[in-house]
Amino acid sequence: MKLEGRHWIFLGLFAAVFIAMALNLGLDVAVSGDTQGMYEFIDTLSPGSTIIVSFDHEASALPEIRPLALAVLRHAFSRNVRVIGTALLAEGTGVGYRLMQQTAREFGKDYGSDWVYLGFKPQYIAAILSMGESFSRTYPEDYLGQVYSDLPLLNDINTYDDIAGVVSVADGSLTTHWIEYAGSRYNVKIAGAVTAAMITTYDPYLASGQMDAMVGGLRGAAEYEKLIKTGGGGERGMLAQTVSHLYVLALIVVGNLAYFLTRRKPKEGRG
Amino acid sequence: MQRRLPQIIAFVFGVVMFLQYFSTHPVARGINAAVLVDFWQIIFAFALIVGVITFVKTTTTGINRAADWPYRLISLAGVIVMPAFAIIWGIKAESPFMWVFENIQVPLQSTVFALLAFFVASASYRGFRARSIPAAVLLGAAFITVLSRSSLEAWYPAALDSFAEWVRDYPSMAARRAILIGIGLGSLTTSLRVILGIERTWLGKEAK
Amino acid sequence: MDWGTIIAGLLTLAILTFLYRDNPVYRVAESLLIGVAIGYFLVITWTNTLMDLLFIPLFTDGRLLLILPFVFGLLMFGRFHPATKSLSRLSMAVLIGSGAGVAIPVMLEARTIKQMSATVMPLLASSGMPNWSAIVVMIGVLTTLSYFYFSREHKGTLGHSARIGVYFLMIFFGTTFGYTVMSRMSTFIGRMEFLLTDFLRLTN
Repeated sequence: MKLEGRHWIFLGLFAAVFIAMALNLGLDVAVSGDTQGMYEFIDTLSPGSTIIVSFDHEASALPEIRPLALAVLRHAFSRNVRVIGTALLAEGTGVGYRLMQQTAREFGKDYGSDWVYLGFKPQYIAAILSMGESFSRTYPEDYLGQVYSDLPLLNDINTYDDIAGVVSVADGSLTTHWIEYAGSRYNVKIAGAVTAAMITTYDPYLASGQMDAMVGGLRGAAEYEKLIKTGGGGERGMLAQTVSHLYVLALIVVGNLAYFLTRRKPKEGRG
Repeated sequence: MQRRLPQIIAFVFGVVMFLQYFSTHPVARGINAAVLVDFWQIIFAFALIVGVITFVKTTTTGINRAADWPYRLISLAGVIVMPAFAIIWGIKAESPFMWVFENIQVPLQSTVFALLAFFVASASYRGFRARSIPAAVLLGAAFITVLSRSSLEAWYPAALDSFAEWVRDYPSMAARRAILIGIGLGSLTTSLRVILGIERTWLGKEAK
Repeated sequence: MDWGTIIAGLLTLAILTFLYRDNPVYRVAESLLIGVAIGYFLVITWTNTLMDLLFIPLFTDGRLLLILPFVFGLLMFGRFHPATKSLSRLSMAVLIGSGAGVAIPVMLEARTIKQMSATVMPLLASSGMPNWSAIVVMIGVLTTLSYFYFSREHKGTLGHSARIGVYFLMIFFGTTFGYTVMSRMSTFIGRMEFLLTDFLRLTN
């Protein structure tokens, strides 16, 4: 087994994260303005109001999305906010139902009256726009095959006018479509629980007020867990994340030092 | 006619969907709902089925002569087994269909994505060089961003955190906003060109 | 430990073998992923869309108007034969035309006008001092937009502006790269947590 340079870098990352996880130490995180904003978005909802939580992500992002989604759902259920789950990506469908089922069970919430899962519709732009016309026409049945009109929670919900907002749990640009189509056309409040890689994508919408709140990444999940006073995947991953960040920063510094030193040597040789 | 009729259909649907945006009349709302739910969703679903059939066709073509035939067979098995499970046992939470999704697809897909962490680390050492001033600016922005999100607030001045946040909220956001505006204007003009029949690349090359 | 965890753990390790080099174990896992993912997607699309929105309303509830989108949907299969390939363009036309139609007002309002109006902020604070952040945003947006203006050569004032825009773009790319590093590390940490806690039982 012949190891090349890159393999040693891989092993270094593996070792750093392994040691951090084995130590299993908690790290206190300072809550950022974004996470505080998301917390207030949910916290100011009146009990009995309804939000949509849309699972607009792929299975690949689950390790990062899961702590975020759980934190938001726990907060919503603790405030007795009713939640309608949807998915605009096929893979989010199964994941979303499981996460909602898990958190609903923690808070003793009943399916049909406290939460409902409507499932997936392809062509997300059409789904977002058609919900503005009629939820029941877009989702004649829920994910479990029950007729829309048979679900008590949905009796007084038919368009975006009947909900307090949408939280898009996303690892890509689907939240953009919620903002541009639902937010712009139907004046729905939109919040995002997104992966860290997408944070800078949504900054202009947050700054312009088109997006009401955003929480991002594993760090965002840890901050949110701190605010709602629960543990979770975010908090558990903080030491490992810090160590991995330092590892990457060290690689950048060492790589650049090596580059500048080797760049100088040929010039000295010629002189 | 092969190109004219689709252009006419695109024009009609484009104009109808554009105009309904400005109307609250029940007829407009009804047409909007019909197009979005009945036409758009259903036709798109058939397009996805076409994609699946194309994949099966491509995978099975020449499978007995292909060197990678075991891998193709495994892929085909997956495509067949999942619908079979769904038909026999349904797709609800505790079904074999969801078991395969949760214990095979999700771990595989998230681990493939997790590989990127290693390649990012490798690229940080081998490729991320401050070769020029713009590259140094990029490097600097990345450095303070990663550092400020590392839960090490006690180890460096608070001003660094504030600065990193300011960089993200203002200069970085400004560039992203410019990109968004550019994309918005470009999408707007492309949509107009499609509706007016000026942009015809979506029709394909064959029929002239 | 249940079979699901064992299989998930083994498949996770199979994918990680790619870090050494491409190998048959990785390729088996990759092929399995492709097949299962496509099968999953097919089932979800069928049950959540075609059954709910087409077949049940058409054949059970008698909504005969759905025959029209049904026919357009079937025309998509025309792609599989050269003689009928052009029929699929009719279905594409519906999707492309409607998409373009809804995009125009949205792109104009949400992506262009609202973003432009958010850029125009007071450049002086209420105290009379310059609002440096607003000035930076204004300069950033204008210079970055000038960089993407390719109808004229980047010389003179436009050239200087574009060069400043490049620096703003580098700041954006650097910040995005930083957040992307975080995101990728988080995904890896999540898989490590599964391996160490659920699969190998080395940590709590």
